Amino acid sequence: MRIYILRRLLGIIPTVLMITLVVFVMMRSIPGDPVVALLGDAYTEEDAIKTREAYGLNKPIAIQYLIWLGRLAQGDWGTSILSGRPVLQDVLFRLPVTLELIVLSMVVALVIAIPAAIIGAKRQNTWADYSATSVAMIGVSIPEFFLGVLLLLTFSVGLKGALPSSGWVYLPGTCTSVVCAAGLVGNLQHVLMPAIALGVGRAAILTRLLRSNLLEVIRTEYVTTARAKGLGERSVVLKHSLKNALIPTITVMGLQVGFLIGGAIVVETLFAMPGLGTYGIDAIIARDYQQVQGFALVTAFAFVVINLLVDLTYSLLDPRIRYGS
Amino acid sequence: MSSVHEIPVGAVGELVLERPAVARSESPFAQGVRRLRRSTTALVGLAVVLLLLVVAIFADVLAPQSPITSDQTKTFQRPSWAYPLGTDQLGRDMLSRIIHGTRISLAVGVSSVLLALLAGVPLGLIAGYYGGRIDTGVMRVMDLILAFPIYLLAIILMVIFTPTAGLLGTIKVVGAIAIVRIPIYARLVRGSVLSVKEKEYIEACRAVGVRDPWIIVRHILPNCLAPIIVTTTLGIATSIIVEATLSFLGLGTQPPTPSWGWDLKANVSFIHDYFWLSLFPGLAIFVTVLGFNLFGDGLRDALDPRLK
Repeated sequence: MRIYILRRLLGIIPTVLMITLVVFVMMRSIPGDPVVALLGDAYTEEDAIKTREAYGLNKPIAIQYLIWLGRLAQGDWGTSILSGRPVLQDVLFRLPVTLELIVLSMVVALVIAIPAAIIGAKRQNTWADYSATSVAMIGVSIPEFFLGVLLLLTFSVGLKGALPSSGWVYLPGTCTSVVCAAGLVGNLQHVLMPAIALGVGRAAILTRLLRSNLLEVIRTEYVTTARAKGLGERSVVLKHSLKNALIPTITVMGLQVGFLIGGAIVVETLFAMPGLGTYGIDAIIARDYQQVQGFALVTAFAFVVINLLVDLTYSLLDPRIRYGS
Repeated sequence: MSSVHEIPVGAVGELVLERPAVARSESPFAQGVRRLRRSTTALVGLAVVLLLLVVAIFADVLAPQSPITSDQTKTFQRPSWAYPLGTDQLGRDMLSRIIHGTRISLAVGVSSVLLALLAGVPLGLIAGYYGGRIDTGVMRVMDLILAFPIYLLAIILMVIFTPTAGLLGTIKVVGAIAIVRIPIYARLVRGSVLSVKEKEYIEACRAVGVRDPWIIVRHILPNCLAPIIVTTTLGIATSIIVEATLSFLGLGTQPPTPSWGWDLKANVSFIHDYFWLSLFPGLAIFVTVLGFNLFGDGLRDALDPRLK
C-alpha cells in the first residue's frame, strides 16, 4: 500500500508536466502575443522584435519550455506581464481565495446532499422523495452563473443589500500581502453567495447519486441483519448504510473536481473575486504566457492531487480495498 | 368454438385442442417506448424540447422584432406591450433576442454532441475491437483530453480559435465543445465493445467468414446504442450549459449574434436597476437544460430499467 502511494505521488510529476506542456504549446498557438499588449500605443516593429528577444519569445517552443522548467526548478515562476509582479507571489496571494471557495462549496454540497439523499432513500416514492428528487433535478439544470445572478438579486439587490455583490475580505491569516482587508464576518459575507452558487449544482448531482447508492445498500442483507440485531435506526443508517453508499459517490465526487474548477472560474468572474479563476482567465485572454503557466501549474497540480486523495479515501472507507497488494 | 374453460370435444368425442393464442413478444425497442410513454418526467421533458425546437425553427416568424437592430432612443425600456421583455442597453428587444437565442443554443448543443458522436463512436469501436497498440494510442489521446478540467480546455480552445460573430463563430464554439466531449463517447463505446467482443456469437461470425467491419456495425454497435442515446440527450444539456458559460466569459458567439449567456453577462452590471434583463436569458437557459435533462433521464429509465 505504501509503495502504491509512493508510486502515485511520483506519478503526479509527469502528469502535471504533461498538462503544463500542452497548455504551453496551446498558448503559443493563439494568434497574437503579449508583446502587442505590453507595448500598447508605443508599438513599433523594431521595439517588438527587441522585446521578443528580451523575453525569449523568438526561440523554438521546446527551448522556451525547457527554460521555463529550468527557472521553475529554482523557484522562479516568471514575472507576469499584466501585473508586473512575480507569478509565484500572485499565485500565493490568490490561492487562499479559491481554496476557500472550493472547500466551502463542497461543504455546502454535502450539507444539502446527505440529508436529502437519506430522506429520499428512506421514504422512497413518497412526496418527500419526489420533492427531493425534483429539487435535485432543478439544481442540476441551473448554470452556476444564473444561480449566482438569482442570489445576487435576492440578497444584494433585494433585502436592502444584505450581502455584498463583489469584492473580497480575507480570512485573518490567509493574506500574504501587506495591504488587505481581513475579518471573519466580512469574509463570510463575501464567500457565502459564491459558495452556494457553486455548491448547489454539485449538491444536486451528489443527491441523486447518493440516494440511488443508499437504496441499493438498504436492501442488502447486512443492513437487515443490523436491524434484526436491534441496532437503532440512526446507527443503521449513518454508520452502516451511509459509509458504504459513500464509496462509489466519492469516486464520482473526484471526477466532479474538473467541473468545480471550471465553475469556480465562472463564479469568481461573476462575483469579482480576486482568486485563481479570474487570474487564469485574465491571463488567457491577455496572452500573458507566464501567468497562464503559473495558473496551469497550480490547477493541474490541484486536480491530480485531489484525484489521488479521492482514491486514498476510497481505500480508507472500504478496508477491503488495498492497492498494490 | 368452445371456450377455454370447457373441455373441447369434437363430433366423435375426441379432444379438440385449440392452439393457445401466443402473445406476440415485444421487441426491446417497443418495451422501451412503452416505458417511455408511461414516464411523466420524460414526457414533460419531451414536450419542452419539442416546444424549443418549434421556437428555434420558426424564430423569424415568432419574434416580434429583429434581435440585432438597435434603437438608441428606446434603451432600457421596462416590459410593456410593445416590448414584452423590455429592451437592453442598445435598444434591442429582449424577447426577440431570447427567441433567436434558442436557435443558437439548440444548434450548438445538438451539433456539438452529434459531432462528438460521429468522431468518438468510430474511435471507440476501432480501439475496442482491434485492441493492442491502436487501443493504447487512441486511449492515450482520449485520456489527455480528459485530464483537463472541461471548462479550462474549452476556454483555451476558444481562445485559440478566436471567438467571432455569425455562423463562423458558432461553428468554432461547436468544434471546441465537440472536441471536449469526444473522449466520453470513445470510452463508452470501447467499454461496450470490450464486454461483447469475446462472446461466442462474435466468434461464430468470424468462423463463418463475416468480415470485421460488418461484425462491428451489425453485431457490436447495437449493444452500445442505448447508452449512446442516453449520453447524447444528457450531453446536449451539458453542451448548452458549456456554450452559455463560454458566452458568459465572452468567449462564445460574439454580438450581435444573440446568445443567452452573453446577454446574461452583459446585463449583470445593470442588475440593480433593470434586473429583468439578466433574469430572462438565465431562465431560458434553465428551462432548456431542464427539458433535456428530464427527457434524458426518462430515456435512461426507459431504455435500461436496471440503471434506475
